[in-house]
Amino acid sequence: MKRKLKIYTPFINAGIQETATYRVNWIFYMLGNVLACFVSYFIWKAVYTSSGESSMNGFTMPQMVVYIFLMYLTSTMVSSDSAYLIGEEIRDGSIAMRLVKPVSFNGTFLFQEIGNKLMTICVLIIPLVVGVEIVRVVFTGSVQFNFISFLLYLISCTFAYLINFFFNICFGFIAFIIKYLWGVNLMKNCIVGFLSGAIIPLAFLPKPLEQVFLFLPFSSLNYTPVMIYMGMYSGTTLLYYICLQIFWVVAFWGMSKLFWRICVKHLSVQGG
Amino acid sequence: MIYVENLRKEFKKTIKEPGLLGSFKSLFHPKSEKIVAVDDISFEVPEGEILGFIGPNGAGKSTVIKMLTGILTPTSGKCTINGKNPTVDRKSYVKEIGVVFGQRTQLWWDLPLRETYGVLKEIYEVPEDRYHKRMAFLNEVLDLESFITSPVRTLSLGQRMRADIAASLLHSPKVLFLDEPTIGLDVVVKDNIRNAIDYINKTEKTTVILTTHDLADIETLSKRIVMIDKGQNVFDGTISELKSKYGQIRELHFDTDTANVEQALAYAEHFGISDDVVTTETDGKSVKVRFNSSVVPVSDMLSYTLGKINVNDISVKDADIEEIIRRLYKQGVQDEEKA
Repeated sequence: MKRKLKIYTPFINAGIQETATYRVNWIFYMLGNVLACFVSYFIWKAVYTSSGESSMNGFTMPQMVVYIFLMYLTSTMVSSDSAYLIGEEIRDGSIAMRLVKPVSFNGTFLFQEIGNKLMTICVLIIPLVVGVEIVRVVFTGSVQFNFISFLLYLISCTFAYLINFFFNICFGFIAFIIKYLWGVNLMKNCIVGFLSGAIIPLAFLPKPLEQVFLFLPFSSLNYTPVMIYMGMYSGTTLLYYICLQIFWVVAFWGMSKLFWRICVKHLSVQGG
Repeated sequence: MIYVENLRKEFKKTIKEPGLLGSFKSLFHPKSEKIVAVDDISFEVPEGEILGFIGPNGAGKSTVIKMLTGILTPTSGKCTINGKNPTVDRKSYVKEIGVVFGQRTQLWWDLPLRETYGVLKEIYEVPEDRYHKRMAFLNEVLDLESFITSPVRTLSLGQRMRADIAASLLHSPKVLFLDEPTIGLDVVVKDNIRNAIDYINKTEKTTVILTTHDLADIETLSKRIVMIDKGQNVFDGTISELKSKYGQIRELHFDTDTANVEQALAYAEHFGISDDVVTTETDGKSVKVRFNSSVVPVSDMLSYTLGKINVNDISVKDADIEEIIRRLYKQGVQDEEKA
């Protein structure tokens, strides 16, 4: 295990350095996302003002604010570009270079991406969590921060990231068959965004639909960690959702292994 | 060391009918066609040999290399290298080989070159002291010092290729695959790279499989060549065999103002040889004469031509590798038909 970790640590290092190379791009990417958060905030503000109710589907306006910004933090933390990266490597044939190295194909992507994200997470997590807590203090008049919830949130995010990573790996393998993923990937991101509660909280959906969505792996990506942070889940419910996350990690991990075995036989390296 | 038996690879290719309508049709009702890229190739390479692997574009060289390195799975047939099957034991197999694809890079594009070697050191589990010795050695052979701290994307093609070859040699592989390592390089860098490959092969007994379009690569490096065309093996033998058989073709290029050069020169009649041995092509002023130098010596050809007509800008060239391959392939088919 230690040996293995030593093989993959350089991928984390390289990932960090890659992000650092394109600093300006990275800063603008984050700024763009923060702007999107504010757009979302004003839309919900308009919804709450026009409805005249203080609480909708169990969410008060201050809770909604917390939800929007936490959702942004969470989706940044758990996002995975591996489907896109695999697709690109298959399209331009550079996947060949990855295959001639004595390392696990999935492993290299995983650790490189962790490296890529590490800096983003470090930069985002403190201001966002502090900001969210200030909002809560202002609205409720007392400190709401719960260290245990925060810790559970981080654990849940880790599982969420692994689910997303292996799901994206499975998805990326479609590129072995259709060769170019850009369009399909766009569609996938849209659907996943909706199913995971990144666009509207799942509690706003009709009850039967909500139940289905809650069981699907996508709610484990964003919705579960955010609900845990906000203290909406506790006791057995909390345990149930964490276990569901673990279940999906294992399921997608197994599937990615299986897909890999099938797909590598279908590989045809494009371009020379 | 390397055994390749009846290797075959088929690809499925979607065919798009021409035009906009065709694009629509293939969107909903794609037609596909089976393409045989490699068809029944067998050869062996003993340890410590440099094998030149040549053939025209699209002959299937790269596909063979990709199967030998475990990237592609053969449709049928078998290859065994160091007693291992590349596609079955991929991870343990690739530890013992080094691969360079001239048209791709294994270096980390955005990182300083040194970082790539650091990553490779961990991947191949090279101990610290061996790593330092190895880097010093590679630096001496390939002269990396001047650009080792620059990001890879800023390197010139020649520097990048040297760096790539160094990367493939870091873990002292037993077998080295080089797919067009001198593509697009200038003469000095080509020389440098050839010397490095030769040196590594001599000092470490590394088996090398080399594909190239530059006959000079093969001449300086390998004794034996395997030539393939249209996925089939058309020649397997030493360089001298190839040269004595097919390498005697020369091309004479010159410009002239004389009209009707072919009739004015009439090589076949003058030398008393058949039209197969000498062919003349004209394109406006420029003339290309292809002849077999073992039948008509180059000096005779030149003095006769210069004496007969007014000539500018004359040069004699070796027939390029494609030309030899083309002849060889024709010959191969004729032999089969005779048999």
